Amino acid sequence: MTDSGFFCTMKYQLASVFFIFQVFTYIQTEAQAFRTGAQQLILSNEDSLHAGTNSQKTVISGYGSAFYQRNFNQEQSTLTLERAVLFVGHQFSQKISFFSELEIENAKVEGGTSNGAEISMEQAFLKFNLNPKQYLVAGLFTPRIGILNENHLPVNFNGVERPLVEQLIIPATWRELGVGFYGSMDQLPLNYSVAVLNGLNAQNFEHGNGIAGGRAEGNLATANNLAITAAVQYAWKDFKFQISGYNGGTIGLSPRGSDSLGLNSGALGTPIYLGEADLQFNRDGFSAKALGVYISYPDAGKINNRFGKNIANGMYGAYAELAYDWLHKKNAQAQFISFGRLEMLDMNASIPGKGDALYDGTEKQTHLVLGFGYLPLPNVVIKADVRLLHTGPQNPDLVINPPPNQLPYRQSNQFLNIGIGYSF
Amino acid sequence: MNTERRKFIKSSCNFCLMAAGGFLLSELSACSPAVKVLKVPVSGNTVTIPLNAFASGPQLIVRPSGWYYDIAVRKKEKNTYEALFLQCTHQQNQLVVDPHGYKCNLHGSQFDEDGKVVKGPAGRPLKRFNTTIGPDQLIIQLKD
Repeated sequence: MTDSGFFCTMKYQLASVFFIFQVFTYIQTEAQAFRTGAQQLILSNEDSLHAGTNSQKTVISGYGSAFYQRNFNQEQSTLTLERAVLFVGHQFSQKISFFSELEIENAKVEGGTSNGAEISMEQAFLKFNLNPKQYLVAGLFTPRIGILNENHLPVNFNGVERPLVEQLIIPATWRELGVGFYGSMDQLPLNYSVAVLNGLNAQNFEHGNGIAGGRAEGNLATANNLAITAAVQYAWKDFKFQISGYNGGTIGLSPRGSDSLGLNSGALGTPIYLGEADLQFNRDGFSAKALGVYISYPDAGKINNRFGKNIANGMYGAYAELAYDWLHKKNAQAQFISFGRLEMLDMNASIPGKGDALYDGTEKQTHLVLGFGYLPLPNVVIKADVRLLHTGPQNPDLVINPPPNQLPYRQSNQFLNIGIGYSF
Repeated sequence: MNTERRKFIKSSCNFCLMAAGGFLLSELSACSPAVKVLKVPVSGNTVTIPLNAFASGPQLIVRPSGWYYDIAVRKKEKNTYEALFLQCTHQQNQLVVDPHGYKCNLHGSQFDEDGKVVKGPAGRPLKRFNTTIGPDQLIIQLKD
């Protein structure tokens, strides 16, 4: 090969390498260009390690759970994808963020029939940071009432089912529309929150369901009536204490409509009061929780009379839980937690007199839950437990037109639960 | 007469409640593990804190001016320092200091005092800022 031939070949090779490099760079640039603005803001795990104090970012995360349940009295087993929840959050700046939780319960809603399924926004709110210790939220959010309402991820509570007291008395996940102010103190390990929310709707209260039916959950809430809720948390050594309260109006009708029914309307008219206190303990793998809640509804008799309901004017619930993480001493990431929880509740602890309500013994319940949870990682859990249920006797006056094959009511029942949960 | 007695009992109870409240608050202040908070200006991409700020304890909360998140600085063995950004790695919420580390009230994530995840949904440890020790002062680099 001559010198000129060698240089000519070299030239072609260099040109080829340059061309390939250009094509590669172009493909990379185009690939980047094809990502939408939102896609480019979504953090990968690698990105987020370097994200630092970048002001704009979009985060996608979520949680979910599925379980098997055996009801021994009914000899019936059920298997369901209980929840799949998608979080989408966006940080507009260090000061303003958006948070949302979109939930699908029981996997499938089809043709207008739900069969216990539900698609709903569990939260969707804007958060305005005022300073490092205080912020405002506005939109649909879960106020700080009880332990579970604010932190309801399956990896953060023991048992396949959420505590019954925090389902039937505190109707978690209880979200409403409103504005909340949250903060913590520098001088004390004390957190506080106060929120103004839409009120409950007494027309939708249902016997056997506490106050859950009255929630609007962001769906065309009546805003003639409002509610105020507040909570204070205090951490001391290995303990954390909380008290919270709720006071809300339950009549969202116009003054004319409510006057015609003889009910007090207005922001806090025909009020409902909820008071709650809880404490949590955590040390060396041992943990304990105790919670008590009481709901007072002084005008329940009027509501029953006007709307044909059977609602109580006093309800209570309490539970205590002990747990131990057997892997704590190994200082491993995994946890194997065994626990026992005793729950007592009565959804008709006191009922209106003068024939305005009928007592239902089945609403006075004791639940003993014994089980374990294995978390190979903090965000994945496998759970199993047994729940022993005992209720008061059934009131025959409340059994209307029973089917001919209905079995006699049994005051005791057992459930076997096996489930999985995740969050990320 | 009955009304007078009722008024007396009511006002006495109110007084007792106020006194108990004041006593409780002072007791809570006394037994609380209060962490010193230091407000500092940001200069360039750094904040500087005097080393004698650690005289009262190994932990300090640094609040850079204009920021919406604090930095927890802990003096460790061999005169080294660790600066953790108190922003939840799950959804960027501010963290609160608790006796075992740091907690996010939004979804319940918990981090230990070294910033490692104890409870989800957060999956990553807290971001650490680089620190350098100057004459009588600690310099925290806010950008990598």
